[in-house]
Amino acid sequence: MKAKKDVQPGTLALMVLKTLDVMGELHGYGIARRIEQISGDILFVNQGTLYPVLLRLEQEGAIASEWGPSENNRRARFYKLTRAGRKLLETEKHDWEQKAAIIARFFEVKAEDLA
Amino acid sequence: MKTLSRCLIRLRNFVTGRHGDQRLREELEDYVAREAEANIQAGMSEEEARRQARLKLGSLEAIREQYHAEEGLPLLEYLAQDIRFSLRQMRRSLGFTFVVVLTMALGIAATTTMFTVVYSTLLRSLPYPQSERIVAIHDTRITGRSAGGLMTGPRFYDIEARNRSLSSLALFYFDESTLIAGKKLPIYVKGAGANVGFWDVFATAPMLGRVFNAKDDVPHAPQTLVLSYPGWQRLFGGDPNIIGEQVKLDQQTATIVGVMPRGFSAPGGVDLWHAAQFTPNNWGNDRGDGLRDIIVFGRLRSGVTRAQAQSDLDRIGEQLRREYPSSDGAWRFTSETLREDRYGNVQPALVALLIASALLLMIACINVANLLLSRATTRQREVALRRALGASGRRVAFQFCVESVLLALAGGGTGILLAFVLTRIAATSLPGILGQPGTIHMDGIVIGVALLVSVATGIVFGVIPVLETQKVQLHSALKQGETRLGGSSGNWLRSVLVGVQVGLSLVLLVGASLLAESLWNLMKQPLGFEPEHLLTVRVLLPWDTTPEAVANFYNDVQQRIENLPGVEAAGQISAPPVTDFHVRGSFNADWLPQVANQPAVSAEIRNIAGNLLVAIGTPLLTGRAFTAADQVSTVPPVLVNDALVREFMPQGNPIGHHLLLDGQAHEIVGVVADVRGISGAIAAEPGPVVYWPASTNGGWHRYFMVRTKVPEQLANSIREQVYQADPRQSVGKIETMDQLLSDAVAQPRLNAAVVASIAGIALLLACVGVYGVVSYFAAQRSQEIGVRLALGATRGDITRLFVRRAMIPAAIGLATGTMVSLVVNRLLRSQLYGVQPDDLRLYLASLLALLAPLVVAILRPAIRAGEAEPMEALRTE
Repeated sequence: MKAKKDVQPGTLALMVLKTLDVMGELHGYGIARRIEQISGDILFVNQGTLYPVLLRLEQEGAIASEWGPSENNRRARFYKLTRAGRKLLETEKHDWEQKAAIIARFFEVKAEDLA
Repeated sequence: MKTLSRCLIRLRNFVTGRHGDQRLREELEDYVAREAEANIQAGMSEEEARRQARLKLGSLEAIREQYHAEEGLPLLEYLAQDIRFSLRQMRRSLGFTFVVVLTMALGIAATTTMFTVVYSTLLRSLPYPQSERIVAIHDTRITGRSAGGLMTGPRFYDIEARNRSLSSLALFYFDESTLIAGKKLPIYVKGAGANVGFWDVFATAPMLGRVFNAKDDVPHAPQTLVLSYPGWQRLFGGDPNIIGEQVKLDQQTATIVGVMPRGFSAPGGVDLWHAAQFTPNNWGNDRGDGLRDIIVFGRLRSGVTRAQAQSDLDRIGEQLRREYPSSDGAWRFTSETLREDRYGNVQPALVALLIASALLLMIACINVANLLLSRATTRQREVALRRALGASGRRVAFQFCVESVLLALAGGGTGILLAFVLTRIAATSLPGILGQPGTIHMDGIVIGVALLVSVATGIVFGVIPVLETQKVQLHSALKQGETRLGGSSGNWLRSVLVGVQVGLSLVLLVGASLLAESLWNLMKQPLGFEPEHLLTVRVLLPWDTTPEAVANFYNDVQQRIENLPGVEAAGQISAPPVTDFHVRGSFNADWLPQVANQPAVSAEIRNIAGNLLVAIGTPLLTGRAFTAADQVSTVPPVLVNDALVREFMPQGNPIGHHLLLDGQAHEIVGVVADVRGISGAIAAEPGPVVYWPASTNGGWHRYFMVRTKVPEQLANSIREQVYQADPRQSVGKIETMDQLLSDAVAQPRLNAAVVASIAGIALLLACVGVYGVVSYFAAQRSQEIGVRLALGATRGDITRLFVRRAMIPAAIGLATGTMVSLVVNRLLRSQLYGVQPDDLRLYLASLLALLAPLVVAILRPAIRAGEAEPMEALRTE
């Protein structure tokens, strides 16, 4: 069994938002499995961290939840992105890309560029 | 915005106690069900599938905590929860709580009380506007004895005319008068004669009416009086309609124009101020010696520093030395701040007492730390259990901190209450200037500092057990009865604490013994008179009474007192020992070379009459005492004291020699023994004194000294006799000499008493602490004792093991404490009398005083450890 990495703190919210953006409505278990799946099973989503993040996002109004019927006749809490959440995702995405671009430039920098 | 709304949601959840417990449980159930389903699909049995799912989920409690953390206000919730838990813990172990709270309370109470005194005197700004700009100006002899900084009138007016650094200049002098209000009996009042500048320097508005002004302060102007608050209460019962009332002060009509507010105490202890009505030219040539009674304060001009003012004063002093070499040549002006003037002489004592109480607080805290440490060790299993159930290390540490701080707060709160009571007592019973009303009081700042100190100690000493819990090894601590051999963690810390505690106690004991020895030296020294059964009666006529009337009145009173039953002897003196009174004279002597402008002999002067020497019990060494004829002589003879003879005529017999004054030769007819407290304080070596027949000297104020076995009964008869002699005359305080003496040594006695009680408590705490630590060591190693005994160790070996274990840190503590004592107790130097701060005797005595109970505290548990039954010790766990 290969060691899985825990999700970096701070990035889980972004992953949740994007997952919901792509998948539409989804329950907690599903979100966790999807994130793990999307990461290529490199990441491990701890439920202990996932539920507080879901709660926080909901308090912020980025996602909404409601009870609904799920497959196999079970009921589950389904989460979906709100309009505010979509906006949040966009700004977060923009921020993240900017951050990544900056880091990327640092990785590519060579001595002669700074001469 | 987002943060705010989230905070609001959290706050709402926190307040309404709404928890998403239900929701989380459903979510988790859903999770387990789905995970198990996945596991079943992967081929597991149903039971195994659910088990694996739950394992993967991890600690439910931890998830719940994290979830709650997101939901409410976690810190507040933890705090509330921990406080509830801690209170339950405190209730459960009442004995422990009581000991901790009491120990802390003792330390905090002592420190807070001392800090209140120090803060009230040395830190809080004095109750005058811009009080830092007020300077006290003293007249100081360049070499030799000064007169308490008191100045003569002409020199004051020279400063007033010539200075460039002061915006106003105050003078006042103490006087005592008889006040008659309406038809009431004459009352003795203490007053201060002040100039108009006095009110500019102290710049305090009256509570009622007005202060006197420049028109009131000229010779022959109608007398105006300003009452002090205590004087207003005492003399007029706080009558609000007193302004404008006319009274008789020393048989002259005076009008009450104002009442000062309660806190105004410049100077303290007076009933009233009246205008001095001095002018620069009514002093004659009375510049140098003679009666010095003027106290001078100045207010600095804005922009002028203390140093500039001092150099200004130096310039004036230099000018005067050149202009009046014979009188002013020996004097210079010095200055200090109002605070230094007031509290400068008690400052070293106060600082020493504050340090002593802080040391006590440290010892108390060490005891508390020791207790907490021992408890933390016994609670290791509890910690392990909580950690295993998912509590983070930080969470446990937080909880222990909350417990420590709560205990500290309880101790601190109790201590502050105790300090409040102590401060109330101190405010009225402290000696001298410290006991003046309104001086010592607690305020928010003091209480704040005290609370801060208790919380700080709570955190600092609460961290120690927290460090201990961090070391908890989950699996070993959980196992019931983990067998331990040998030392355990935290023991070195305990040893250090024992050492520090013992060392600090030694410092305090040495300080206490130094102060006690000083007090003893001060009290047991021969005084040169017999203070037992001696009554002092203050009587004083108006200063402008004619010499004949003065002589007649005092002769009359002397007769009347001598005729009272129970009087063994009675005499008169211008000021008895240990009163703050300075009259100095300079003489030439017929046996010494005479140099112009440099009188050979400088001596304190006292006027005596009646049978004084017998009354106060001072022996006449050679020659004779004054006769009735001496009292009316035009060129009266004098008596001198032994110190004068020793200093100015070491060989030979002074009887028949003469002191020369203003061209007249006064024969020395007798030598009396030195009396302490006449020239300088009681602790000072007696200086030269010349005694004059009182009636020849025109002195209008007297003390009657009455030797009697029945002082209480006599006091009233004496008042009656004086009233019969002159119904316009009051009698001042009637006190026994013992009372005066006890006031004179009040400060050293206070020092000794406070430090001794602090040292006593410290000793007790240290012994309790050491006892606890040794018992703890023994309990911790009971199995080891069993093994050792079983393997053939003798009981003595076991006892020695623990004695050594405790004695090594104690010995190191004693050695360090000795070093620290040598440094710290130097601070006491100014408070010591007849003993050096490194007196070996006292160090040894303190060591013994500390070692005796310490050895008991160590030996008892150590011997008990040695008496353990090996089988029992082995079976204990």
